[in-house]
Amino acid sequence: MALEKHDNKNLGGGRPVAEKGEHIVARHLIEDDNIKEEKNLVIDGVDVSGRWNTFIISRVNSDFDRSFFEEIKKTVVGSRINRCWQCGMCTASCTVTPLYRRFNPRAFIYMMQLGNLKELKKYIDVAWRCVGCYKCSQRCPKQVNPAEMMEALALVIKKYFQEEVKTKLKLDEEVKKIYEDMIIGHGRLDLAKLHTSAMQKSGKTKELFGKIERGAILKMLKDGRAFSVLRLGKPHNWSSSKEAIENYLHKLNTIENSEAGV
Amino acid sequence: MDKLKENQAAYYPGCALLTIDRAYNNSSKLVSKKMGIELVEIPDYNCCGIGEMKSKGAASMYMPLRNMMIAKNKLGSKNLIMACSVCYHEFSRSITRVKENQNELSAVNAIFKEAGEFNEEYIPDGEARHILEFLYNEKGVEEVKKNVVKPLKGLKVAPYYGCLYSRPSMYTFTDKKPKMDNSERPRFMHEFLEALGAETVFYGNEVQCCGGRNVVQDEETSFALCSQTISKAKKAGADVIALICPKCAGALDVNQPKIVEKFGKDSKLPIVYLTQLMALAFGFSKKEAEFSDMISEPLKVLNEKGF
Repeated sequence: MALEKHDNKNLGGGRPVAEKGEHIVARHLIEDDNIKEEKNLVIDGVDVSGRWNTFIISRVNSDFDRSFFEEIKKTVVGSRINRCWQCGMCTASCTVTPLYRRFNPRAFIYMMQLGNLKELKKYIDVAWRCVGCYKCSQRCPKQVNPAEMMEALALVIKKYFQEEVKTKLKLDEEVKKIYEDMIIGHGRLDLAKLHTSAMQKSGKTKELFGKIERGAILKMLKDGRAFSVLRLGKPHNWSSSKEAIENYLHKLNTIENSEAGV
Repeated sequence: MDKLKENQAAYYPGCALLTIDRAYNNSSKLVSKKMGIELVEIPDYNCCGIGEMKSKGAASMYMPLRNMMIAKNKLGSKNLIMACSVCYHEFSRSITRVKENQNELSAVNAIFKEAGEFNEEYIPDGEARHILEFLYNEKGVEEVKKNVVKPLKGLKVAPYYGCLYSRPSMYTFTDKKPKMDNSERPRFMHEFLEALGAETVFYGNEVQCCGGRNVVQDEETSFALCSQTISKAKKAGADVIALICPKCAGALDVNQPKIVEKFGKDSKLPIVYLTQLMALAFGFSKKEAEFSDMISEPLKVLNEKGF
């Protein structure tokens, strides 16, 4: 049930599963040029045609950036990055991976450990799709907490790829902003407002007046739930909490600082 | 506000339960009262952060812990009960983290001090408890059986636990504490439903994800996951799916017309909350259990079955 669209022309976006080396698991992690395949291959007199004639040329990665690793380790969500020993249990249990093959938590954590920004950049368009189901964290043998590591990944992407965030992750960022404004600003969440403004941001204004949405809104108006949303209000003295939270976020010297990213 | 009496417990409603998911809120209170515990809402609550604050360091822990402080100061209760699985996750995450990490505790306390709402520091001595686990452990299945006046004979229910009730065990302590549920194969809801006289079906997606977290920005993923869960439950012969989380309801119930539009009739199945079914079996009317609030029309099935 893969949802990912395979676009053969656009190698940067939806990378195709090429004929070349297509039976390699996590094929998307390997560059096309690094796969060697022969039609007919005989080694020491043994015919190894078929699957056995696929070779991956080893690559050397010399541009490590360990400062990057320390940067992640200082955050709350990424504090356990040093524990990962790359068993792949997170990817094996992932809810999103069967839908989007290129979403691979194990590989993301590896790239973060190495500070390999060049590789990470290729996955900006899928990296935000984590649904936070915590299956990975449940099954991780080293308690790395990969589900929260994906939050650390979002912080990293926000800091180092500002241009891409503005174009490719526009919707995700805008919805996050709506959430934050409500949670920090008002202390409570107005679900009706969240829903309508998110629909508008994603360009579904037309759908908002469609039959299904109209039916739901009418139903809530009839049974009075629409008015309870209006009555939700703010907690008393929330402004002092709001100020304290904002001050804390400005004073932080990690990438969680609200100014480090934006 | 007065301190709690013996048969009362501090309760955190959360934003969804006070507004569009009032059916879950009201039925939870009805059911608990019938089982001998009155849920008392904490005054002046604030949002738990619903997972959108996690990348904001200790601020993500301040949000739930402020409510723990209110429960302690205003109601004199160390523990807090909640019905929403997302709130439960946020609370248990924060409490576990500050217990294990002194730096994070002092960072949270620094925010508390600056906000100046409470005179004391936060000490992680309380627990957050999910209402299902709370009723199961404090009152037990026998108490449920005792209260049933209208058994749900012949109703096939697919229990859906979702993600955050049982996962991750590093925060919820499933598997780790003797009284807690199993994290991969939870059974408390099964036992409750069977005590009500209903039949539970096995369909394999009990602890799968509904994609609820990204439901506003990533409908595509959520719809695909929900359609899979609903159609599997339908194939297993379920009449309704029972939930314990308002976020799952947002994905499975509120969005169901759109899912049906995209994936066809196989993805159409009534969705109810566990506590609504409990209220019905305990003798409350369908109106009191507020079945009409659900968009997937569970009333039709319940009327057909004669409840």
